Amino acid sequence: MKLTFEDSVEEFRREVVGWLADNRPTEAEMQADPVLSSAHVPAWARAWIARQFDAGLLVPGWPPELGGRNASAVETLVYVEELNRIGVTRHPNPQGLGIIVPSIIDYGTPEQVERYAMPILRGEMPACLGMSEPGAGSDLAALSTRAELDGDRFLINGQKVWTSGANYADVCFLFCRTDPTAPKHRGISIVLLEMDTPGVTVRPLPEIVHEHMPDLNEVFLSDVVVPAENLVGTMNNGWTMASGSLAHERGMVWLLGVMTLEAAMVRALEEGPDVLAALGAQERAVAADRLVTSYIDSVASRCLGYRGFAKLVRGGSAPEQALMKAFTSEALQRLTLLSAETLGDRGLDLGLGEGVVVGRRDGAWIERYFESFSATISAGSSEIQRNIIAEKVLGLPRG
Amino acid sequence: MDLELSEDEAELRQSVADVLDGISPLSLVRSIYEGDGDDRDLWARMVELDWPALTIDEAHGGVGFGYLELAIVAEQLGAHVTPGPFLATASQFAPAVRELGDDAARARFLPLVASGAITGTLAVAEGGRWDPAAVGATATREGDGWRLSGRKDAVMHAATADEIAVVVVGEGGLGAVVVPRADLDLRPRRTIDPTMPIADVVLDGVVVPADRVIAEPGSLDPALVDRVLDEATVAIAMATVATCRAIFEQTVAYAKEREQYGRPIGSFQALKHRMADMFLAVERANALCWYAALTIAEDDPRRREARSLAKAAVGECQALIVTDGLQLHGGIGFTWEHDLHFFLKRAKAGDGLFGGALAHRAALAQLLGLVDAEAVA
Repeated sequence: MKLTFEDSVEEFRREVVGWLADNRPTEAEMQADPVLSSAHVPAWARAWIARQFDAGLLVPGWPPELGGRNASAVETLVYVEELNRIGVTRHPNPQGLGIIVPSIIDYGTPEQVERYAMPILRGEMPACLGMSEPGAGSDLAALSTRAELDGDRFLINGQKVWTSGANYADVCFLFCRTDPTAPKHRGISIVLLEMDTPGVTVRPLPEIVHEHMPDLNEVFLSDVVVPAENLVGTMNNGWTMASGSLAHERGMVWLLGVMTLEAAMVRALEEGPDVLAALGAQERAVAADRLVTSYIDSVASRCLGYRGFAKLVRGGSAPEQALMKAFTSEALQRLTLLSAETLGDRGLDLGLGEGVVVGRRDGAWIERYFESFSATISAGSSEIQRNIIAEKVLGLPRG
Repeated sequence: MDLELSEDEAELRQSVADVLDGISPLSLVRSIYEGDGDDRDLWARMVELDWPALTIDEAHGGVGFGYLELAIVAEQLGAHVTPGPFLATASQFAPAVRELGDDAARARFLPLVASGAITGTLAVAEGGRWDPAAVGATATREGDGWRLSGRKDAVMHAATADEIAVVVVGEGGLGAVVVPRADLDLRPRRTIDPTMPIADVVLDGVVVPADRVIAEPGSLDPALVDRVLDEATVAIAMATVATCRAIFEQTVAYAKEREQYGRPIGSFQALKHRMADMFLAVERANALCWYAALTIAEDDPRRREARSLAKAAVGECQALIVTDGLQLHGGIGFTWEHDLHFFLKRAKAGDGLFGGALAHRAALAQLLGLVDAEAVA
């Protein structure tokens, strides 16, 4: 047990810090052409991804031909930490990088890797993940979008919803029902759907805030024809692959949750003294105490995440990792809520409220509060997370 | 940051747990609760096993382990609700002598601790505050020695300790003395947990000879007292979160076996979600305890803040765990006959000593610059 990593890891950190100073995208280019959705990859980002790829840092743990350097898990963590420290995104298409590319590499054909995985990895072909449906949210296995195999093609009909980045994506990693007679978990397959295929209609679903910048979409599929060779893995094996895909996602998401919470905490503490000074003594004490709760959450989330990570690196199991999503997302929700409330009527102001030290970056607290539900609802709601913890980690019987 | 035990550390934890399984059964805890037992034989066994020597440095006859090893022992003591003076001696008295005393004080007392010849404890709190700024008990010169006046609260294991380190204030600043228990007027308190006994100490009229002054009144840096409080507080926090984990694990086990309406009560979603939240509370506090222990082991500047983070989180943890642990056990957990209450009461004792969640949250508000120092004092 140590507060720092091994010397070799800290040496790697110094190398990364130096490399980032020379190669990071500039604030000016990032601001001139901002990332608008989880599948919008501006030109500067493609160039940035290429620099990371060539330096073996895009996915440090992968081999050089996939943009890595066979780095250890700890080194990967260090790289992500240092990127976060300077406020630069690694890849503006996180579901492409984190879920779709590794799934194609694990289960796809060499042709699919060449045609889809590599361009997605390089940010040249932004991708979206077609999972949820109006009738299949938490119960994903209930999905009903139908793909009928007809010779050398699939005929697809159905509807997806909450599809992040579908309005910018070139390709969709689409979960479909291919055997309606099998038990629900056994009749699902995955196909790669190019979004410009006739019969695909995307309708953006503006969110509760930032309505001018939608990321979520409905995707309607009407007699869409997809070549059979675009099947990923084997027929009716999609659920198994989905479990694998989500494992890829969980592998890195905890750290992003921690860093997002910490960044919000830094902002709250910077603003804290000024905001609290405007309050009466009693209000100030209450508001300070609520901030303390969030501070404990913030440090605890890092310690908890790192503790679990250290166990995994040692090859053990880390049951506390299952807690991370619900914990960090709910802690961020509490922090954004109390930060907005502490501002009183000024907390209602959007964006850069006048005369208040708020909204320097990332919008007003009240907007961030509403945004925070994205993380407590999506990718397994907090309630589903608790079911998973109770059943998979604590071994409580299914209801 | 590597917050997982190394192989050696994990091995130590296992061996401590194995020993306590044997020498610290719940029947011993019950015998103390019911008035026909005490912790003397248990302590004698710990001395035989050289436990008092573990964290004393080798120059003073100890094994020379550091704070992480102490934390590992503290965790297992909490998990077993073990009675006895180990924590008071190893995490309070010994650090007080080491941090506050000079070479002569260390040479006089630490070998006695290491050999098990004496037990000790620390008298610092006044008015419920474990804080160098709250020390009001005075020391004034009298001949070669010092006359004490005032009162100390909640001294752990005071009634059986051989030596008590007392933090006092003299002209111009703090000081520290070591007084034999026999010279002090103790007021033992009846508390909810008789296995973690405490007493208030009346100092009025006690005269301490010069050779028992380990830090001359007026000369002691309050930051050194904070260093001692870091060690003492995090050890209690570590023991308490382990007690909470034991409650949590017993609750989950009970929910799997207890059946109502023809099914285990642990299959009901309302209970599942409460147990998931209990798990989070334990892991949140536990991670902060290890972090705090590490900052002490490595003498990192964050140790003062980490102390309050850990103790505040543990205080919040026990509030949830005791409430839900008892509630989910239903009627059986409400009985004297069931062992659960030993754990529930130990968790409460752990929160009440060395500052509860309330005190440490207030300290954090001050450390983070959110309130003025006066607002806390």
